[in-house]
Parts: sequence; C-alpha cells; structure tokens
Amino acid sequence: MSIIKKIGKQDLGKLLEEWKQGFKVLAPSRESGAAAFTEWNGKDASFTDWYRNTVTPPKSILLPLVEKMFSYTKNEEGYKLETPPPDEKKQLVFGIRPCDAKAFNLLDMTFKDDYQDPYYLNRRQNIILVGLSCKDPYACCFCTSLGSSPSDSSGMDIMLTDIKDGFLVESVSKIGEELMQNTKSLLEATDDDKAEAENNRQAAIQKISRKIDVKGISEKLRQCFDDESFWQDIAAKCVSCGICTLLCPTCYCFDINDEVTAEGGARYRSPDSCSFSVYTKMPVENPRSEKWKRVRNRVCHKYQVYPTLFNEIACTGCGRCIRLCPVNWDITQTLESLPSSEVKDAK
Amino acid sequence: MIKENNCNKLIEEAKNLLKQGKVQRIIGFEKGSLRFTVTPLITSDTDAAERLVINPFIVNNLSNFLTGLKGKTAIVAKGCDSRSIVSLIQDNKVKREDVVILGIPCNGIIDLAKVEKLTGIDKDKIDNISLNGDKVLVSFNGGKKEFATTEVLFDNCLACDMPTPTEYDVLIGEAIKPKPPVSQDKLNELKEKLPAERWLYWQEQFSHCIRCYACRSVCPACFCTRCFAEENKPQWLSPTPHWQDNLLFQITRSIHLAGRCTDCGECERACPVNIPLRSLTKEMYDIVDDVFDYKAGTDKEDAPLMASYESEEAEDLFL
Repeated sequence: MSIIKKIGKQDLGKLLEEWKQGFKVLAPSRESGAAAFTEWNGKDASFTDWYRNTVTPPKSILLPLVEKMFSYTKNEEGYKLETPPPDEKKQLVFGIRPCDAKAFNLLDMTFKDDYQDPYYLNRRQNIILVGLSCKDPYACCFCTSLGSSPSDSSGMDIMLTDIKDGFLVESVSKIGEELMQNTKSLLEATDDDKAEAENNRQAAIQKISRKIDVKGISEKLRQCFDDESFWQDIAAKCVSCGICTLLCPTCYCFDINDEVTAEGGARYRSPDSCSFSVYTKMPVENPRSEKWKRVRNRVCHKYQVYPTLFNEIACTGCGRCIRLCPVNWDITQTLESLPSSEVKDAK
Repeated sequence: MIKENNCNKLIEEAKNLLKQGKVQRIIGFEKGSLRFTVTPLITSDTDAAERLVINPFIVNNLSNFLTGLKGKTAIVAKGCDSRSIVSLIQDNKVKREDVVILGIPCNGIIDLAKVEKLTGIDKDKIDNISLNGDKVLVSFNGGKKEFATTEVLFDNCLACDMPTPTEYDVLIGEAIKPKPPVSQDKLNELKEKLPAERWLYWQEQFSHCIRCYACRSVCPACFCTRCFAEENKPQWLSPTPHWQDNLLFQITRSIHLAGRCTDCGECERACPVNIPLRSLTKEMYDIVDDVFDYKAGTDKEDAPLMASYESEEAEDLFL
C-alpha cells in the first residue's frame, strides 16, 4: 500500500531542503542557458512554473558527458593507476518526467542486465527518482503511443502530481516509501486531493495529440530495410548532426579516448553518435558511410533491434529529437510512412 | 516583408523547372511538423513542389544541401543563403550552371526563442504570429500582443545589409532595400568585458557544449569532408568534450570561416544548448570586413579570400 501525502507549492523549497540533508538533490534549472538537471541551489523552487521538460535528458546523470575512467602517473618506479572515487552522496532527482525515468529502465538493459558497467551502476544504485507527472506535455510528445503516459510512475520511487496550490506525493517503491516516512515536510492528503490529481492525470493524457501506431513496427522495419529509395528520401534533409542521438534519453553509444602526456594520462568516456560519418571510424571504418544508412540505423535500432533483443522499443516518446532538430526531421512521420510490404511486393 | 502570396509564384517557377527538365530537383521549404516551423523540402516530384512555402519562419540556410549533389538543382535562397551559394561557387564546391537560384527578398526571420521570451509562452501554445510591416502580432491565451520587428527578428537579420539575394536566376518578389542595422547589444556587452571576464564567460558557455557538431552540420561553409576536429594524426583537439577543447573547436571553426561566413546565424540557432556562437563568427565577420574590406559571397568571380594574396596587403595578420 503506497503512502499518499501532499506538499504545498510554497513549501516545495522546504521539502527539497529537507531532502538536501541526505542527498545531492538534482532539479531542473535553466541557469546554463538550456534546461537541464543540475544540483539544486537550495533557494529557488520556482522551476515548476516553467518546467515542462529539460533539453539535456537526465541520462547524463548516469552517463556524463565527460567520464574519467581512470588516470595514471608515470615515474622512475613505474606506473601508478588511480580510479576516481565513487560519488559520496546518494543523488535524488527531483522532477524527472515519466518518459525519462522509463529511459533509465531501458538503459539498464544495456548497462546493468546484459553487462554490468561499474561507472553506470555506481550511480544507478545510488539514485532516487522523484517523478513529476506532466500536466502540460509538449506538442512533440508521443509517450502514450509507447505504452506510457504523462503520469506513468514505473521506474520512479516517488511520484508527484499537480493539484491546486501544490502536489500530491505518492510512494511507488519501497525506497520511496521509507523516504516519505522519514520526511517531515509532507502533509496529509485528503480524498479531494486524490480525486483532483486523478482528474489532472486524465486531462494530461488528453493533451497528447501526437500519436503513432507501433503495432508490428519491428516487422515493418525489417521488411523495408533494403528499400534504399525510401530511406534516401527520408534522409535527404537530415544534416547528420548529433542532436537527436546525444539528447535522446535512451541513446547510449560512447567513445573512449586516452589523453596522454609524458608524465601520465587519463582515459575518458563520452557520448558518441551513430549520426556522425566518423562513427566507429577509429577502430575500423564506418559501415554506414552514407547518410541514409545512418538515418535508417537510428530508427531501426530503436524500433527494431531493441525490440528483438530486449522486447522493448528503445524510444519513450519524449519528443526531444523532434523539438530540437535543426531541420525538423520528425521520427513519427517516418514511422507513419514506412512502405508496407504489399507496396514493396508490387515493385 | 516576405509576402506569403509569393508562394504561388515560387510554386509555379519550381513546377515549370521540374516539368521542363531544367533541374533534377528543387530544394525549398515546406510546412514543418511543429507550430511555426518549416522543414527543408528536397524533391524531384512536380506535385510535391505544391507544398513549397515562403513565410517569416524559413530559417534554414538551404545552400548547405548543395555540396556533393549531382545534376542541376533549383534552390530557394534568402539574401544570406544566396551569398553562401556564391561562396560555395568561389570555393569550387558548386558550379554556377548547376544551380537555379530562386531568390527571396527577405525582411528578416522571426526568432521564436525571442517571441517565447517576450510572451512567456512556449511556441507550441502560441495561436498565431503574423508579420506586418515593422510590427509582429502575436496571439495567445485569447489575447494579442504587438512587438516591433526589432524585438523579435533574429540578431543576424537585424544586422543584415543584403536582404535581397546577391545572385539569383529568378527573384520571387520585389527587391528590397536594407534597413539600418540595429545595435547588437549581446555583442557589445561582450566586447565591453575585460579579457579575463570574457575568458570566464566563454569557459562557462563552452562547459555546456555536448559536441553534437550541429553548428558545423548546418553551416554551408563547413563543407570539408574531413574536419580537423576528428583528425588524429596529429590530434588537434580531444574528442572528449572538455570545455577547453570545445572552445578550441569553435575558435578554429570561426577562423576557417573567415571570408566564407555570411552571418546567416544558423550555427547559433541550431545549438541545442544555446551557446551564443554568433558572437564569435560575427566578430570574425567584422574583422574580415575591416581588414580586407571584404564581405563573403558578394561576387562569384572573386577568389576565395583566404586563397588569394596581393603583395601590397598588410602583413600584420600573419602569425
């Protein structure tokens, strides 16, 4: 049985302050010029006024832009290897949206289940997700087509939903329940609060107008994989930048580079993108040297490869790739215009 | 103003060019999938040319798609875009006879980020934006607000002195005179900073760079098939997005664009994390103008600026 409480909007700072005692609290901020999760400054909790979703997805908390894997120094006696210490404090992500929390579960399939990545796991196991239902999804959002919703609490520890002058606060996981039991700032929620939250959840679902049909999508993609003229057309306006992949909450490709000086060096891991023509060029050659093959790869990896490997579509419908694309390349249009097998057979 | 009723003239021209086999494809704009956005339309299909639009949101510099194309192409070009095409011709990346330039006299493109800031409303919730003379009317939440164009056009549009294409085959609409440039506050504020402050400013800005290379991908002047950023013998910068390497990349990119950058503003617009890249490229653009009395893409017969040298030229720029 989950615990249900509430918090007034004016008390949100107090709540975050309380949680700040035990956690490194991350919250949406626009200080850098584009919305991202950054360490809460301890003062301003007014982000709920403007926050719809971040530009930089919260995956960068688990897979940072610059990950120092190890460093070494060299002297006459030999080499001394140093690994960065694990994060000292547990992190609490406040306000993560359902699409982005779902993306954490998808990333787990690669970095936790299939292979145990120590850098990822160290953070993943020490993170608490306090979700915030969307009351105002973007026009580019299409989470409801992918089995989720603006108030989907799967993957969360605690879930908040807007109510008048505040938020309904519900525990989702055991960890979330324990945290709520030990949080003093929360108030008792009334039946009216619960009913209002439910109304708001339903209203938000109605606001999602972008819809795609993903039934049989994996098979459709398999069938049109070799349809070069279709992919050439689709890819024509793509400029091969890395926005859609680097800012995708589920894309996880990375590059590893050594930086070496006479005295020592370090090895870094940072995100890479299959959109780049130089992708994988360092070890061998990019098998997708032509743009249309790279565009096809991005679509197929999410909607065909991941379903085949993990039985899940690796897209959560967050819409960032649509909203942030400099040429408005829209994956939902591609998925809706896949040539059917009948057409292909007729050729 | 870019008159929407010129759309019909453009569509007619484009369809005729395709029908008569004078071009293999047309590159223009069509309505995008999000409110107020347009998206490039690249097509050989005469019927698809019906979807071409001209409006105050046609932001992309389409000349970016010309490099590497085979056969003849008709392309929609605003003032700055036409200069990029000329610059590509100068660099021997595009042959003049391979392009039919459908020139669009341009009174500036509306910066949706500025509209969002002024209204406090995200663009997907704005009902309508219309450009009328030197006013822009924005309807939202059942009300209306009027802004001066100087408040809502892109910064580079407010500095534009060549709104009518410098090179074209057909001009869609009447040629227009440039307006006096509007003071560029963002650039001036930066210039007034002490060098140490400016250094901190850029350090902060480039610490957010995700190295998506969208600035490079949308830039028609970044036509190299191999970029120094990815060279590893020697390695000029680390592929890891440390702020120092991000800054080095952008400074070097700016220098490479000397005499090629037409101040189309695409790099800054494309940046997903809002790094003010134009503050670098425009400074370089102005230096090129001051030192060499040169504006990129104004004369296709000119040799590329950095590929020519006259013995009487000042040498104080040599390192």
